[in-house]
Amino acid sequence: MDREILRRLELLNQLSLTEQEKESVIAFFSDREKDLETLDAIDTADVERMVHVMPIMTVVREDKVSQIFSREELQAAAPETDEGYWCVPKVME
Amino acid sequence: MKTYTEDKKLTVVADDMMLTKDMPTTAGSKMLDGYMSLFDSEALARLKDAGYTVAAKAAVGEFAIDLLGETNFKGAPASDGHIKNQAAEMILSGDASAAVCLDVNGAVRRAAAQSGLVSVKPTYGTVSRFGTIPAACSGETVSVLACDAEDCGRILDLIAGHDDKDGTSLPAELIAKTNEAATVRKVAVLASMKKGIGADVCEKLDAAVAVLKANGVEVDEIDDSVISASRPAWNALMSAELCNNVSRYDGVKYGYRAESFTNIDELYTNSRTEAFGELLKTAIIFGSETLSTENYMKIYDKCLRVRRVISEAFGKLFETYDAVLMPATSSMSYTEAEVKENKFIAFEENYYTAPASITGLPAIVAGGVQLVGRAFSEKALLEAAKKYEKEGK
Repeated sequence: MDREILRRLELLNQLSLTEQEKESVIAFFSDREKDLETLDAIDTADVERMVHVMPIMTVVREDKVSQIFSREELQAAAPETDEGYWCVPKVME
Repeated sequence: MKTYTEDKKLTVVADDMMLTKDMPTTAGSKMLDGYMSLFDSEALARLKDAGYTVAAKAAVGEFAIDLLGETNFKGAPASDGHIKNQAAEMILSGDASAAVCLDVNGAVRRAAAQSGLVSVKPTYGTVSRFGTIPAACSGETVSVLACDAEDCGRILDLIAGHDDKDGTSLPAELIAKTNEAATVRKVAVLASMKKGIGADVCEKLDAAVAVLKANGVEVDEIDDSVISASRPAWNALMSAELCNNVSRYDGVKYGYRAESFTNIDELYTNSRTEAFGELLKTAIIFGSETLSTENYMKIYDKCLRVRRVISEAFGKLFETYDAVLMPATSSMSYTEAEVKENKFIAFEENYYTAPASITGLPAIVAGGVQLVGRAFSEKALLEAAKKYEKEGK
């Protein structure tokens, strides 16, 4: 992990780390190098990926309404609303 | 031993990863400070339908990825310099008979081991995750923390079952297997999983082995180093999933919004930077790097394949043994100084909890140690745990 890659990851994830946090993250990645060696030592050439730990297939269910909330309820968690609209900060330059 | 009086038998607490419509849910993060859900999580709704009261929320670490709750944005409970888990403390003080928690990275199991309580992390997909704050969806499981195995079983019976609202909920006929009678007759102790444990944990492990043997259970110590690769693989998968799951928190639609910004990018960045703690930020960066074009095949894809290797290793063990006994922690307590010195200790200490997390297998913690069994063997594991649960007190 070098600082250039870290800066790119910060931008991608909309984060701005302090200098001390950057040093910690770089140290964290350094420790993970040994973990990669552990993983690489396991032969997975003929092994299928395991995304689901249980036999779960893509689930399709009937499109039935099961929970109905009022607009007021749905907007209760919004930082700002006005006459039923969500107010968001200016997004256009 | 029950810590509660009879009038509290139907009173539970929920950890702060479980949505509650009449109490705030924060996931331990400043990002969700004051957030009120419009509905209860399915597990809590089922308990309420059965006549239970959810008396309070128990604080968790930010998105429940830490040791016991120490990264909560309001600080963690501690006593004499030792970190405590709030759900466990509430049970120990008699406020509730049990806690319903989301086990993301083993905090619930570590809390049970260190506080002399019992926890059950059921088989993945047997308890609905509908209405939980998503963190590491492919392995996190709604779990129960209680005074003993009997109480764990009582609560698990009520919350387990198929739920159409959860796409990862297993079919009812598979979940019904958890009610099939089975007995733990042969147990394996994995030598590789004893790595790094202190004398106090070793003592608990020996005590559990002695009690199991005294009860006619055959116990063998065997070596299987592949299972110890669970930790690095789970850390990568958990961080990748976490990175995606917390990308929704941007300060726009709900949650914390920074006061100072001049454009939309600054709004996103300042809100996330100010609201998220250091462990979570590190996990986000790690997860993002794991999923990057350069590393997707090298790390993420590799970990998914390692997950199968580990599952198959357990499967092979279960051809001979009914369960695997292992520690849940490296020591019987964590000091504040330890965590201060090693901010990422949770990504190392999950060495003992990652095997059950990455495979979705059920795990019971009792007597300070962990018993991992075949899928749907919760009842057999709880019965076995009853034999030695008092060893953890």
